[in-house]
Amino acid sequence: MKSKLTWMLTPLLVLCMSFSFAQEKSISGVVTDQNGMPLPGVAVLVVGTTTGTQTDFDGNYTITARVGQVLRYSYLGQKTVTRTVGAESTMNVQMEDDAEALQEVVVQGYRNSTKEKSSIASVTISAETIENRPNASFVQTLSGQVAGLNITTSTGQPGAASNVNLRGVTSINGNTQPLYIIDGVPVDEDNFRSLNPQDIASVSVLKDAGATAIYGNRGANGVIVIKTRQGSFNQGLQVNYTGILSFSTLQDNDYNLMDSQEQLNLEALRGAGRGATLTDQEIALAPTFDWANYFFDTGLTQNHTVTLQSGSENFTQFTSLGYFDQEGILQDSNLKRFSIRSNTTGKSENEKFNYSTNLTINYSESNEPNSIGSGAINRNYILGAYQSVPYITPDDYTNGADLLSPLLFSNTPLFLIDRLETFTRKEEEVKLIGSFQAGYQITDNLSANVTMSADYQNEIETEAEGPTSFNALLFGGAENPTSGYQDQVSIRQFSYNQVTSLNYNNTWGKHTVDAGVYSEYFKAHLRTFGFRENGLDPKTFFPGDGAGFIPAFVDQSTGAQLFVDNPFATIRNAGLFSVFSQADYDYDGRYGITGTIRRDASYRFAGSNRYATFYSVAGRWNIDNEAFMENSFFDVLKLRASYGTSGNQRISGNTYFSAPDLTRNFFATGSGYGNNNSIFLSQIANTTLRWETVTQGNVGIDFELFNSRLRGSVDGYVKETSDLFQSTPVSAINAVTQLDANTGTLTNTGVDLTLNYNILNGGDDGVNLVLNFVGNYNKQELDELPSEDGELIGTGRNGGKLFEYFSIRYAGVNPANGNLLFLDANDNITENPDADTDRVWLDKNIYPDFNGSFGFNLDYKGFFFQTQFNYTVGVDRFDFDLSGFQNPDNIGQFRSSRDLLRAWTPDNRITDIPAYDAFNRASFASDRYITDADYIRLRFASIGYSFPARLLEGTGLSRLRIFGNAENLFTITKWRGFDAEALNNTSRLYPTPKTLSVGFELGF
Amino acid sequence: MKNYKKLFYLFGLVTVLAACNDAIDIDQPGRLDADAAFENVADLQAGLFGVYANYDLSGEIAFSSIFTDELSIGFDNGGQGLADYGFVLNAGSTAPATFWVGAYGAINSANRLIEAAELITPEAGEEDQYNSILGQAYALRALAHFFLQSYYTTNYEDDNALGVIAVDFVPTIDQQLLRNTNGEVFGLIGDDLDRAASLLGTDTSDPTFMNIDAVNALRARMAAYRGNYTLAATLSQQLLDKYGLANRAQYEAMFLDTDNTEIIFKLERTNNDPYDGQGATGSPAAGGWAGARFAFVDATLAGSPYFEMGRSLFNLLDPADIRYDVNVAPTSLIDPDYATNNDPATDILVIQKYPGSEGQPLMNDLKVFRSSEMLLIRAEAYADAGSINGATNSTAALLKQLNDARFGTDTTLPVFANETEAFAAILDARRIELSFEGHRYKDLKRLGARANQGVLKDPIDCAFNGACTLPASDFRFTLPLPIVEFNANPGLREQQNPGY
Repeated sequence: MKSKLTWMLTPLLVLCMSFSFAQEKSISGVVTDQNGMPLPGVAVLVVGTTTGTQTDFDGNYTITARVGQVLRYSYLGQKTVTRTVGAESTMNVQMEDDAEALQEVVVQGYRNSTKEKSSIASVTISAETIENRPNASFVQTLSGQVAGLNITTSTGQPGAASNVNLRGVTSINGNTQPLYIIDGVPVDEDNFRSLNPQDIASVSVLKDAGATAIYGNRGANGVIVIKTRQGSFNQGLQVNYTGILSFSTLQDNDYNLMDSQEQLNLEALRGAGRGATLTDQEIALAPTFDWANYFFDTGLTQNHTVTLQSGSENFTQFTSLGYFDQEGILQDSNLKRFSIRSNTTGKSENEKFNYSTNLTINYSESNEPNSIGSGAINRNYILGAYQSVPYITPDDYTNGADLLSPLLFSNTPLFLIDRLETFTRKEEEVKLIGSFQAGYQITDNLSANVTMSADYQNEIETEAEGPTSFNALLFGGAENPTSGYQDQVSIRQFSYNQVTSLNYNNTWGKHTVDAGVYSEYFKAHLRTFGFRENGLDPKTFFPGDGAGFIPAFVDQSTGAQLFVDNPFATIRNAGLFSVFSQADYDYDGRYGITGTIRRDASYRFAGSNRYATFYSVAGRWNIDNEAFMENSFFDVLKLRASYGTSGNQRISGNTYFSAPDLTRNFFATGSGYGNNNSIFLSQIANTTLRWETVTQGNVGIDFELFNSRLRGSVDGYVKETSDLFQSTPVSAINAVTQLDANTGTLTNTGVDLTLNYNILNGGDDGVNLVLNFVGNYNKQELDELPSEDGELIGTGRNGGKLFEYFSIRYAGVNPANGNLLFLDANDNITENPDADTDRVWLDKNIYPDFNGSFGFNLDYKGFFFQTQFNYTVGVDRFDFDLSGFQNPDNIGQFRSSRDLLRAWTPDNRITDIPAYDAFNRASFASDRYITDADYIRLRFASIGYSFPARLLEGTGLSRLRIFGNAENLFTITKWRGFDAEALNNTSRLYPTPKTLSVGFELGF
Repeated sequence: MKNYKKLFYLFGLVTVLAACNDAIDIDQPGRLDADAAFENVADLQAGLFGVYANYDLSGEIAFSSIFTDELSIGFDNGGQGLADYGFVLNAGSTAPATFWVGAYGAINSANRLIEAAELITPEAGEEDQYNSILGQAYALRALAHFFLQSYYTTNYEDDNALGVIAVDFVPTIDQQLLRNTNGEVFGLIGDDLDRAASLLGTDTSDPTFMNIDAVNALRARMAAYRGNYTLAATLSQQLLDKYGLANRAQYEAMFLDTDNTEIIFKLERTNNDPYDGQGATGSPAAGGWAGARFAFVDATLAGSPYFEMGRSLFNLLDPADIRYDVNVAPTSLIDPDYATNNDPATDILVIQKYPGSEGQPLMNDLKVFRSSEMLLIRAEAYADAGSINGATNSTAALLKQLNDARFGTDTTLPVFANETEAFAAILDARRIELSFEGHRYKDLKRLGARANQGVLKDPIDCAFNGACTLPASDFRFTLPLPIVEFNANPGLREQQNPGY
């Protein structure tokens, strides 16, 4: 009976409830900013419920609420407003700018500060300058955007790692790349191809010791802190889609290469190659084929990103899905990537506890041809593109077997066509980066924090040379008709990092103190295994599959062991442990000082010097906040200074795991004489091994003038690496001729300058024009080199540049006989210099003296136009490609430059090209091909239109933007090759492309 | 509540400290510490295989053949070897650095094995093996010192001339030693060979290891180099008597690695050993298959021969001689009118001395001592003693004996007008018999003056660079000390060989 009553009463209760809901009323109004302009997108929430809405483009909103309930209006950069619902049904709200939130946040290692209160030298790049660029890796996009950050990309392989040096190179053999921290996770700096640049919210580059000392023995090369996007609290769901389509093409060269007629006539003249066997008429009829156009073609890239973000009172989320598919300009090179990211933040009701999680899962697949840069005519596609003779055409290709006889160098492009058809090299990668951060406010001033993070990547490489390929047939020979091989290698790397801290901050009167003690634990594990299968059955072979594997056997007739396979595996572990502390004090927003001390232990030095201590002190004076500056034209004027140390424990090799135990003597076992297992010496111990220390002093000024129309900063620094880990010659009686030891110093001295000037300030309806300039001057100086005379060939000399070239000087062509002339050490002209003693230091190296960028941002109403010109001064590189094109000994086999047509002859005595038969043409390594590789390049240009909100009304869209981009559109340089940018002296490289893109962004 | 908090912090502290050691005390797996490397005789045996792995002739084969007159630039040459071929030799060249560093690496490994052996007492029944290992280590150390001597000393016969650095210990990395005299270095080699002879047993069945016969062959060669022809005569005669000469079939089989009749010592090269690969082509850095010193792929016309046989050597070869068949690939294109036709495409002389073995093209064992070399040393001794002519006990008789074996017929007994002619005939015989085996450079250096010969290329082979002749008196017949050693040991600069 009782239960029945309940049943009967229930509808009544519901009715009652409905009745009270009916009491709610509709409230509407307009939300404006402090200037009275309507604010679209303001989140309006009934506190304590899930009811919420957003203002439209005119700032209007409508919401239902009961009298007495509280409405909360929140918008990024505005102070949150709360209003209690009263009798009125219209509630107009005027919001105020939130000055503190609008202050640019300065990332400072393990904490944040405001721009005003920061004492360190750092630059933060916001998402706007990173997103929508067609580069697979965001690092490439950063090029030229930060003073002192020199980024060069030496290959056009999609997703390949760039070389990044902050304020010069600080190590010879060790890691020279900055430490990258993504959402608190230290990550492998060589691998960003799997990360979607569209997820990045900001990139901060920490430059001086004041900023990097807190990273201890990982901070020597600077630190790059990356934050990914987050949702905001109390924000409705926002969905964004960005799509970009790009077309990449080969950059131009200036080698002035011969056509078939010129090439064949030259061959006929020299009695070499096909030209020597053809009649004049046959030569005239020969086709000219452009092999560069064959091995390179237009690469298409598509890039799609969907993001969803939202937030409630205590929880936010950001989700992104990305798909990126880039074809390299080189055949058989590409990158496909699928990425997912989920970032959440949350906090307790009383705001004492907060946490965040960041998780990204990425899968990428890329085809990466190898042997790039090598002289292998049967393997390097680039060689085929540049050096193939133009009179051979793809029609000459039939199959690999037909190329075996006659085996001619001039068939280079045909070998490579065969390789394109029969060779596979693919890398698949799964990369996960996750982090969890939590903080608890123990008292008003004291909080405990923890960041736990992990970086996992599993890379699987598959490489196969098919059994019917030219290469397999060539090297297999008649004995092994089913040759060919397949490599499969799996490389797994996991690293875990945990930072635990206790932080204190307090403000009283004009004093503010912020201090923390921290401990950091880092552990990394590498596991690789793989095999090379030799012998593939062409009937069942497919790259990556094992059906065609042929087991090893002994050929009874010859005794040959055929198809012996080669398995391999590696285990490496690495670890670091540190404790550190930082304290920051501010007085009245005018003076500040920050001190850091860190004690670090590295597994690498366990047998010698395990612990190291690093420290820094940084101070600032906010001159503009002084009373005497009241009426000056300076809006901001801040003087900064810092001094301190940081370390590099990765002194050799480029991974966490390289050179793990150099402090010990080792023998190894393996194949010896007669393929018997043997024991042999593998490592001679260095018992005094230690980290490299970088001591840096920095003085900087930040300024804003004329109502902040001119903004900038200038920093001067001196950065000295001591205990430089470098090759030290030892007598060959030790079975080696060099051992690495901590000796010598390398000093980088320089200036960073950043300037922005708003020439035109037209506001929303007028023209806005901002000029930008970023520059760095850096000078290197080596000292205390480990040799008697202070010179180390290959490294440099005391007082000289790093990797300064040391060579015989080329002095032109002898008009008397066409031989090459050189200068000996005493500046006398000679045809026969001494290859040892006539070499001199040339005061040139591959690193720039000046580099940076300039450009402008222009916008008018919704239209925008932006350019960035990168420049580099003081780079000298060997142009070995040119050396090949000008080499008379290559005639008949490879392509020549028209330069050869002006070679010395008795009738043409004054020339820069030696006689074809000059006796010393191949005798001496000289500086003949060291070329000035300075350049100015239109690195980036973008043009587009953002549709104004009113045009989108009623379309369901909140945002619509279309744009076109260009990367590397043109380059002004004396360098004659395809890409002036590469930081490399190798010839036949894969150049970075020129790229044009179109894209659009939609917001819902 | 407060206690709980304390407990919490204490727990945190303990975790942190425990974790600390786990991150920084890491032993990488698979490492063999020096003190655990050699613990018994079996380990020493494995160590000996490691020592042997440092010994290679491919660099000598490459250098000697490119620098002298054994080969010419092939039609498929991509720029390989042009500097050495043009007689460009200086302290920065490849050969001086490779030979110096390679031989001292070998000596270092032998010294480490000898030192390790001193700490090991063989178990009962292992004494012979232990002695043999140690004996081979001494013999190998002698071989490497002799190799260095043969390239870096100006005059083999002058005991007061500068030799190389004699190293009979494991050095420390800060040592900067100067050159010893020839007397000192040859003294060490002699002592090592005596020690080896006393330790090695009588078993000479395996010519791929240094046995007592190899020790004597080295003694014979060294005696000949040093002009000590009495000793050279005795030792070479003993070995010649023991081994005899191969017949034509055996000779052919020898270069396919299927016959050892004439072989006193050779370095084995087999599938998957450290030298099973192409190595550095066209360079004395070499390091791979012997035949890859001349061709990229195999020893046929289609095998991309980047070097071809020099015309001046080819012209010395008689098609009736088995050595013609061994040295010249049947696929070669031979233009009798090469001198007038002057067409590289019609005259392609493919070198076939290293055709390959065990199914691997270009891979062959490296012959270090053969009995025919002993015969030629004996012939030198006769010439030195003035016994140049005559049907027995003379230079002429021995050269005829060699030709008889190679032609398979009774050849004419040569007659020499004087000693110079006899030495010239010996030099030519060595040029043919030991072609592409790394001897020519050293032979010209030590016999060139007495034979009145130097490098002599056919004009067709040097038309492009003019580097046709080089007299045996040229300073370049002694290698310079390499720059790479000066960097560590600047005092040696003062002791650089003349001319550099």
